[in-house]
Amino acid sequence: MVADRAETRIGLALVAPAVIGLLVLNYYPILQSALYSLFALDSSTDWLRARFIGLRNYRDVMQSDQFWYTLFFTVGFTVVVVALDISLGMLLALATFYVPRGARGLLRAIIIVPWAIPKVIQASMWRWMLNSDVGPVGDLLVRLGIAAEPPLFLVDRVLAMGSVVVAYTWKGSSIAAFFLMGGLALIPREVIESAIVDGASAVRRFFSVMLPIVMPTVYVALLYRSQDALRVFDVIYGLTGGGPGTATDTLSSFAYTAYFRYAQFGRASTYAVVTFLLVAVVGVFYIGRIKRNFSFRE
Amino acid sequence: MTRRKREIARRVISTLIIAVVAVWSLGPLLWIGLTSIKPQGTEYRMPVEYWPENPTLDNYRTVLGERFHIQRSVLNSVVVSSGAVIGTLVLSTLSAYAIARLRFRYRFHTLYSMQIAGMIPPIVVIAPTFVLMRALGLIRTYWAMIIPNMVYAVPLSSFLIASYFANVPFELEDAARIDGAGTLRTIFRIILPIAAPGMFSAGVLAFLGSWGEFMLANTVSIGSARVETVPVAVLSLSRAFELQWSWVAAGTVVTLVPIIAAVLIFQRTIVSGLTAGAVK
Repeated sequence: MVADRAETRIGLALVAPAVIGLLVLNYYPILQSALYSLFALDSSTDWLRARFIGLRNYRDVMQSDQFWYTLFFTVGFTVVVVALDISLGMLLALATFYVPRGARGLLRAIIIVPWAIPKVIQASMWRWMLNSDVGPVGDLLVRLGIAAEPPLFLVDRVLAMGSVVVAYTWKGSSIAAFFLMGGLALIPREVIESAIVDGASAVRRFFSVMLPIVMPTVYVALLYRSQDALRVFDVIYGLTGGGPGTATDTLSSFAYTAYFRYAQFGRASTYAVVTFLLVAVVGVFYIGRIKRNFSFRE
Repeated sequence: MTRRKREIARRVISTLIIAVVAVWSLGPLLWIGLTSIKPQGTEYRMPVEYWPENPTLDNYRTVLGERFHIQRSVLNSVVVSSGAVIGTLVLSTLSAYAIARLRFRYRFHTLYSMQIAGMIPPIVVIAPTFVLMRALGLIRTYWAMIIPNMVYAVPLSSFLIASYFANVPFELEDAARIDGAGTLRTIFRIILPIAAPGMFSAGVLAFLGSWGEFMLANTVSIGSARVETVPVAVLSLSRAFELQWSWVAAGTVVTLVPIIAAVLIFQRTIVSGLTAGAVK
């Protein structure tokens, strides 16, 4: 690209308002957290009076088993829910193109509904649904003869992990489906029709004709869903509170507890900074992939 | 298989698909709906009661009544989310144009720094934002939610809009220029119509993101029902006292109705937006 002086000046003016907003409301807080993480801050954020301890918070964090467990759980959770969000979302999106024209609007509306539910309500709703005494899910499993008694969805370690995944995917797949519908709509009709004429099976048509065209959209959905999943907070906090014990704590919910319940500001900031670095590494990778599909003015 | 048979098979399969998706998507909401018409206190009855013995609208009277005025939170959320969407679309369209359409030296710097900003965990953002809003005297006002939400949505929506802008052939823009159209005219007549579906999706995303935002709204409204948004108000139904599930359920239904109605109304726009993108 040959940067143009005049166009660069216009460009700077155009991006200035957004960049200033992000500097003040996003970058300033994370820099402040990075600063806090270098001090022994407990129950106060007065860092000028606190003891400077350099990277000791990071060293302590690295040496704690809890941190590695939480990190591992956060990453594992992200891999599972993003895979589910995207594959379920893709099936849902494909379904809207399969059903007859008249039913399309109805199906789309049904799919979009979970997306409209605020995360905190989503979390409390699922906590109610999965309650082993008065929730309908356990009760239905018993009535259908699948389980002898209602499973302890939120108390048993493994079931609790499964529960947060299901509750999260319920909304996540709805959002992913919306993205992917847009991507699928971009596929020219003739391309699919000629694949049908060539006698390609439906599965083959999807993987070798449609998927390559939709891939840019899939990457955008991956980027967005992974960012959201790596930072997951509301659903965990509202559904299991990180329990049983700390089995379903993610980096964000752990940092929140350290910050707001125990007022360990230094420690909490360290967790937050680590979360940010983790998300940023993943994000920069995806952006690099997505950028290739952009055509820029040469 | 004959054409007719294939058509029937498709209808049957379609009906099955719609049924399965409806159970998955709407099942939890059906449960909320049923809970909302149970007399208060009976929602905890064991064994689980599916259809209430004495269905009642009392819970709705409670949450809509003087004590909670949950409908106020819907108005608050509409104001906050609409304000945030308008702001986001302006900020992101300007940035997206610079990134995708100009020979702009810092386009990649801007692209990356915006996306990385979008990765900062919300928990670190809340406290400093509260302090800032307090310094500006905006606590317990809509602005304390509109301004941050408008900025939070910028990374994703500028990205989406930029990717639509990138689809417009430069020749189109250049041709318009040669025909004597100025920059603004080119943007409005050539680029925006083509990018409209992208802007619409970005707007929907920003709206629902702001609609569901809880932590900041909870912090800056500090218990003032005058500005409380939907998630804050609904959650406060459960925290004020013992968990009153029937109230929370009624509150959830009341606050969901407008947003589901909006989704249904915009259904056509969403669909036509999507098909407009297909004419490429």
